[in-house]
Amino acid sequence: MADPVRLALIHAEIDGELDARQRAELARSLLADPETRALREDLRRVCATLDAVQEVEPPPQLRASILGALPQTRRGSATSWPVSSWWSAPVLRYAAAVAGVLTAGAIVFAVLDGQRPAATDVAGTLAGSRATTTLDTVQLTSGPVAGRVSLVRDAAGFGLALELKASAPVDVFVAGSGYTFRINGLGQQHGPGAGRSTVALPGFRMDGQSVDLTFLMAGQEVGRATLKPTDGH
Amino acid sequence: MIEEDDGALVRRCRDGDRGAFEQLVIRYQKAVYNAALRLLRDADEASDVAQTTFLKVFEHLADYDPSFKFYSWIYRIAINESLNVLGRRRPHEQISGEEADEAPGPDRLIEGDQARRAIEDALMRINPELRTVVVLRHFMHLSYQDMGEILALPEKTVKSRLYSARQLLRDSLIEHGAT
Repeated sequence: MADPVRLALIHAEIDGELDARQRAELARSLLADPETRALREDLRRVCATLDAVQEVEPPPQLRASILGALPQTRRGSATSWPVSSWWSAPVLRYAAAVAGVLTAGAIVFAVLDGQRPAATDVAGTLAGSRATTTLDTVQLTSGPVAGRVSLVRDAAGFGLALELKASAPVDVFVAGSGYTFRINGLGQQHGPGAGRSTVALPGFRMDGQSVDLTFLMAGQEVGRATLKPTDGH
Repeated sequence: MIEEDDGALVRRCRDGDRGAFEQLVIRYQKAVYNAALRLLRDADEASDVAQTTFLKVFEHLADYDPSFKFYSWIYRIAINESLNVLGRRRPHEQISGEEADEAPGPDRLIEGDQARRAIEDALMRINPELRTVVVLRHFMHLSYQDMGEILALPEKTVKSRLYSARQLLRDSLIEHGAT
């Protein structure tokens, strides 16, 4: 086994960082020690193979997918992006997800039943558009994520309205019939997911489908929920 | 045609110019995708990481400190996203390089595609921290200074990790009869 000084010289040689004195020192080591010579050859071969690995072209739709998934407003910016490009852009599996994050003016009317709070409990937090209907709502009351998630419908289609609070960013995996996507960084008072947001569900249909949600914090599952349109919607 | 530098594009993005952001995507999507692909060895996950990376860049442009190189910032996000994906994989989902079984025996020197495949298998057998420095150095051809900036580590630590990684790759290739 070569000593650490010789090893460092070999690596520095591979990186092209040897000065004249170090080069002479390495040459002496190589002459004196066959094991060092063999190690040097192995490492040079490994690095040459690594360096020869060719870059791969990304999927052709990646760029459109990225651009299509951009939210309409950027945190810290008053600038709005055109809505039309959001709907028309080609998408990958997740493209429809964050792409659907609507602006803070997104409006949700909560229609809650059973043990869920009455609509009057939340009316003060919601703006008053008659165009949006809440089809189902799940309250998150236990665990590290609090808040509510609603399945909503407006003129543009179906969507999820999320109001989450958590001590760390929450990622939400959304799975329905024929689509899955992830929403990152929700639940923070400051940050990309701060406050309430609505995400479009372009693949959703009113034929008994449900939407399964998995909540993750720091990569660990912290909760699950299922949304399904209630009878009468 | 003169290409705008990253700083100018970022300034335009901050002013609400979506076209400028598209230029950044065009400029960096290949590097970001490849970094994720080499760390994850899964094309779908690499695409997801690339998308998430650019979304985070978009969302946090206001936080970007122009005194740092833009590419260091975006690569850092991509690396962290990739490591997050690796962390979420269950142990049995780790791509462990079973394909190394197809590597030639020890009495043959491997060449071309076989060499590439053997080194990629070996790369997946070392831990993600070490794999990251290999990706940054040998696939993205970054300097130690840039690597240190991306990983928030002193250059000395970066070098030490890379030296260890190279030797582990060499040992792994020998162990699997691929050199």
